[in-house]
Amino acid sequence: MDAVIRRRGAYVCRSCTQRFQRHLRRTYGSAAQPDIYDVVCVGAGPAGLSLLTALRANPVTAHLRVALVEAQDLAKVKLWTLPPDRFSNRCSSLTPSSVLFLDQIGAWRHLARERVQAYQEMQVWDGVTGARIEFDWAPGSTPAAGTTIAYMNENLNLTSGLLKRLEELGGVSVFDNAKIERISYGEETEDLDLREWPVVHLAGGKQLSARLLVGADGANSPVRSFADIEARGWDYNRHGVVATLELEGEGWGGEHAKIAYQRFLPTGPVAMLPLPGKYSTLVWSTTPSNASLLKSLSAKDFIAMVNAAFRLSPTDLEYMHTQESGQAEEYSWRLEHTPFDYQAVPQTVVGVQEGTVASFPLRLRHADTYIRERVALVGDAAHTIHPLAGQGLNQGQGDVQSLAKTIEYAVSHGQDIGVTMSLEPYVSERYAANHVLLGVCDKLHKLYSAGSGPLVPLRSLGLSAVNALGPLKSFLMNQAAGNGIKVF
Amino acid sequence: MRPLLRHGPRLSRPARPLWRTAARVAQSTPAAGPCRPSQRSRQLSTTPALQHTHPASASASSSSVNETEISHFSALAASWWDPHGPSRPLHLMNPLRHDFIRTCLSSSPSSSSSPPALRYLDVGCGGGIFAESAARLPSTLSVTAIDPSPTILAVARAHARRDPALGLGKKLVYLNETIESLPVPESPAEGFDVVSLFEVIEHVDYPAAFLDRVGQFVRPGGWLVLSTIARTWTSWVTTNLVAEDLLGMVPKGTHDWNKYINERELRGYFDGQDGVWGVPMVMGVVYVPGLGWKEVRGSEEVGNYFFGVQRVA
Ligand SMILES: Cc1cc2nc3c(=O)[nH]c(=O)nc-3n(C[C@H](O)[C@H](O)[C@H](O)COP(=O)(O)OP(=O)(O)OC[C@H]3O[C@@H](n4cnc5c(N)ncnc54)[C@H](O)[C@@H]3O)c2cc1C
Repeated sequence: MDAVIRRRGAYVCRSCTQRFQRHLRRTYGSAAQPDIYDVVCVGAGPAGLSLLTALRANPVTAHLRVALVEAQDLAKVKLWTLPPDRFSNRCSSLTPSSVLFLDQIGAWRHLARERVQAYQEMQVWDGVTGARIEFDWAPGSTPAAGTTIAYMNENLNLTSGLLKRLEELGGVSVFDNAKIERISYGEETEDLDLREWPVVHLAGGKQLSARLLVGADGANSPVRSFADIEARGWDYNRHGVVATLELEGEGWGGEHAKIAYQRFLPTGPVAMLPLPGKYSTLVWSTTPSNASLLKSLSAKDFIAMVNAAFRLSPTDLEYMHTQESGQAEEYSWRLEHTPFDYQAVPQTVVGVQEGTVASFPLRLRHADTYIRERVALVGDAAHTIHPLAGQGLNQGQGDVQSLAKTIEYAVSHGQDIGVTMSLEPYVSERYAANHVLLGVCDKLHKLYSAGSGPLVPLRSLGLSAVNALGPLKSFLMNQAAGNGIKVF
Repeated sequence: MRPLLRHGPRLSRPARPLWRTAARVAQSTPAAGPCRPSQRSRQLSTTPALQHTHPASASASSSSVNETEISHFSALAASWWDPHGPSRPLHLMNPLRHDFIRTCLSSSPSSSSSPPALRYLDVGCGGGIFAESAARLPSTLSVTAIDPSPTILAVARAHARRDPALGLGKKLVYLNETIESLPVPESPAEGFDVVSLFEVIEHVDYPAAFLDRVGQFVRPGGWLVLSTIARTWTSWVTTNLVAEDLLGMVPKGTHDWNKYINERELRGYFDGQDGVWGVPMVMGVVYVPGLGWKEVRGSEEVGNYFFGVQRVA
């Protein structure tokens, strides 16, 4: 995509930049001198694109000079399209508060809305004991019947919509297909002292000098490494297997009462989340060896494994993971001998879309802080969460909303948006909230990943108790819907 | 509530403001007589006992700020911009200054010139916390910032070089001047839109003469805004009684608490200027440790407050 540059009354005024550049050229006679920006955002994932959109859409911050650096080809992302009966395997649930934010910044209407699926109910149960939580809104506790818990959406539908909105807003210097060679600090000249300003060096010689460098560059954030911010945590020794599934029907509740399912297996939770029509998306966290087996199976055997994951006993499943093939036959034989309430599990999977079975390593990471002088981290660069709560992307939206608000306050009070003094409110608003959520998801994972031993009876008690305790349940529901974030 | 910020940079940390304030004052005004709170309000320019007009202060050659004050601020220069240093309360207060100025400007339809291109004069700018922030606002045309300390101005200039948006030397200009040495605008209309005196007036020996001079830099329709601390029982207890009498950290009777100026006294001064000034705007603020500065209605009676007045003629 071509760089869209419109410099209308930029924060770093154009004449200053030009003066500065002229001056540098005079001084050093060098061709490549940094372009000065107020915000340089590395990473055009959901977090980075939402941040720039929020800044551009707000009249208070719209005059900031902003640049976006992304390794991928964004033209492909913007023009992303799939036939109505095909879905990308990388889907995320968007909470109502994330959707509200996306709507406020004018991005929501740019998504292909017919590809977004709202769901109103969650069914969660323990694979070992069968204890269940029914996450639907209790009568009286809800604003209206059929209230949406969250929206399933393809990540590409979101990023593509955000790019369209950004293009509509204009004013962003986009550097995609970019390779960051290094990030350094600026220099001191006669007129200016930019020794605290990060400079992003792109392959080809382009240099971007940043009042505020935003790391929206995902879990392996190069910006975080540059800022020397430690990210602590652990690997779960689990992979998330994803796939786009076709079911026998539109779901037990029909088109307007869609249900998300999650079953806790000793190896990790398996979740099936509704997409439009007969389609669903799978997120199955399991051991790396199980994951590679699942990826190696034929479509028929893979489908059988997914159906088994929601129906058969953990022992049966474990056995089927030792087979190199033939799971389909094994499944139909074992199913006959397994009693279960067929309406309490998702409808039977009948197809898996070609090329959609993939896996990602799962880990928990939390950066020690989100800010340094002239650096801020958002989204997965700041924290990586276990996907079992479907909160990763939503946490990033929460970060972006908070950082955009922090920047707005700083701009309207004449503060330098890059200094920690201006950025402090962002960290104090987000850090604790994210930390609690990371901790809760981590504990749930550990609690439900033990196949036997003392935890099993306890957790069965736990799940039943959660189900019984109305207030606690609605707290968890609100958390899932993103309404509860402000509780902390 | 207590009047915490006499001048931010003096505070080593919010929990120990008294000692710092008192200790500094001990060196600065050794000759001052004993002070005890008087509930009587003084008039800045007429009551002889509290007469602050210096005979020579109107002449451009004299300075309103004494040398000890200047050297005190110079000593703080290095830590001025450290967000965790002694100036932190000032940094935290700065956004409120803009909120207050905005309230003042929007209160008078006459000052809403469009497009807004405000010219600021910041008197006693120190390291430039307010001056820089004013220069960054899109509605600002220029900021002239003056301070008598060359050391602190060197810090201000060095810091402003870190931000190309400030246009140091063009949009933002630092001058090593006092208000007495700065030439008065040739005509009233050439005055500034906003003249600011943040945490300055309590350092001035002759406030009435000082304000007489400062007023000449405000264009008709423009605003004079200041922040300071009230001279009240509360501020006397915290800065005088505790620090001097109880803790004995400062020689008795050397406190310049008497230089503090109450909101009513300021009001009295501006009322007495024959219709030159409009009705003042006031905002009391309180420092809440851990939260920063908060507006508290009525607190101008006891501690830190903002005061703004429009020049109407
Ligand atoms: C299996 C799985 C399932 C998930 N399910 C859910 C779910 O149901 N709900 C949910 O909310 N979240 C879910 N998540 C998490 C969600 O996908 C992430 O939280 C989200 O994508 C993070 O967005 P981001 O913008 O912070 O980072 P990313 O999406 O990782 O974007 C980072 C961007 O930075 C770019 N980049 C990286 N390095 C560089 C560089 N050096 N130079 C230039 N560009 C660079 C990358 O190309 C990328 O475009 C899931 C994650 C996984 C792995």
